[in-house]
Amino acid sequence: MSSALPDPRSIRALANGKIRLRRDGEGEDAIVVENVSKRFRIPHEKKATFYDHLLGVVRGGSYSYEVFSALEDVSFTVRRGETFGVIGPNGCGKSTLLKILAGVLYPDSGQVRIEGKIAPFLELGVGFQPELSAVENIRLYGAVMGLSRRQIEEKREDILEFAELKRFENMKLKNFSSGMYVKLAFSTAIQTDPDILLVDEVLSVGDEAFQKKCAAKIEEIRRAGKTIVFVSHALPTVRDLCERCILLDAGRIIALGDAHGVVDEYMRVMERAE
Amino acid sequence: MWIVEYRELIRILTISDLKVKYQSSVLGFLWSLLNPLLIMLVLYFVFSDIFGMREGQFALYLLVGIVGWRFLANGTMTSISAIVGKPSLVTKVYVPRQVLVLSTVLSSFTSSILEFSVLVPLLIFFGVDLSINLLFFPLIHLTFLVLVYGLSLILSALYVYYRDLNQIWDVLLQAGFFLSPIVYPISIVPEKYLAAYMMNPVTLIIEMYRDVLLYATTPSPGDLAFIVAAAGAALLVGGAVFGRLERRFAEEI
Repeated sequence: MSSALPDPRSIRALANGKIRLRRDGEGEDAIVVENVSKRFRIPHEKKATFYDHLLGVVRGGSYSYEVFSALEDVSFTVRRGETFGVIGPNGCGKSTLLKILAGVLYPDSGQVRIEGKIAPFLELGVGFQPELSAVENIRLYGAVMGLSRRQIEEKREDILEFAELKRFENMKLKNFSSGMYVKLAFSTAIQTDPDILLVDEVLSVGDEAFQKKCAAKIEEIRRAGKTIVFVSHALPTVRDLCERCILLDAGRIIALGDAHGVVDEYMRVMERAE
Repeated sequence: MWIVEYRELIRILTISDLKVKYQSSVLGFLWSLLNPLLIMLVLYFVFSDIFGMREGQFALYLLVGIVGWRFLANGTMTSISAIVGKPSLVTKVYVPRQVLVLSTVLSSFTSSILEFSVLVPLLIFFGVDLSINLLFFPLIHLTFLVLVYGLSLILSALYVYYRDLNQIWDVLLQAGFFLSPIVYPISIVPEKYLAAYMMNPVTLIIEMYRDVLLYATTPSPGDLAFIVAAAGAALLVGGAVFGRLERRFAEEI
């Protein structure tokens, strides 16, 4: 629980002096986000080399930049075993939030606590290499997810079977069709046995039959008590799938609560905007 | 600890790095062995008369120095782009970014071990007595690994923000090559600079390689302690700099 002292071994990364924790304890909360803000600096003049900086000094150039605030003072808690939705118009900060949860971006202030192993599905097939075979890519992806060699070998058959690609296990990935590619990517990601899933509109992969299979698998994972953070534009899916939900707009949370209520609120806001 | 949790990823990335390195040229692995030999021949013809060392001895003196130096030069020059060269593993998914640096350094380390192993038959051929002091070699080489890794952490992190750092580092390496006892014996260094000269851990490491491989001498405990301390300091500073700069990697790449 949050009152307990952090176990030093579980510190994954430091975010601006704030500690990002990863515990495998049995706390009630899976994700705790406290007062997280993220601003991007957009320099007027991009200085990417020592030469540019030197030139800037000689010419008296400025280091001025514009600040774009992607997230402002965002706080929420996702409970263990909950399916939690994140909705909002384009550019509202959904992707930034997901990237912070995944550990790719660091917040400027505030802190994020993640309890358990997180599987970020920000993009399917990250790290896949076209020159390697399907099986080799499974090994690579499993390693990216932090699995040991034994764990990966144990899952290998399941992954190939779920992706319906057993026949092609030794084929190089560059010869795969795009449909086969996403099937393999989704199956590998889903089989890495995470406690928390970050899902960013990736459910619409493959043909209809495979989509159904994916939906069933997600439902199975949900019933197994895993935590799912679901980011989507498909409001009906969010309403059906999620228990609670936040609505982001311009980097702020403008509604938080029961998924039905928040989705309805979002629709009202959209109508007013039109 | 990330090094344990992601050991499989480190292993896979190291191996694929080695595969790329050795498959991209026709002669592959052979080139990586020929390169130091050819450089040795060039330097031999340029410098052999100047220092008046015995012929065979000077060739080996050069070779050990070059092979040792190559680990530093290749290790840092390849790992400087360890972060920038793998953008999808930085921006699309979370892996501890040190994994990327460590695996490129380990790949250079493996190459270096291979180069040193090929050196051994040459030593025997030239009639060098291999002694029990050879057992110090792993300790020295591992210390060098830590030093190179620490430097690589700093370089690869800075390179994300300063994309001309590789040019600058290339020049600094050239300077370092002549500031270390690779093509000349330490005896030519003027007395008044000697104290400062010996503060360079790379100088000490290269001299120790020669001690254990060529001269059957035991490295002095003081020197050993010094290089271990220097490598430890490089690791600490490297880790701190990397940790500080890592936060904005995903935005800058």
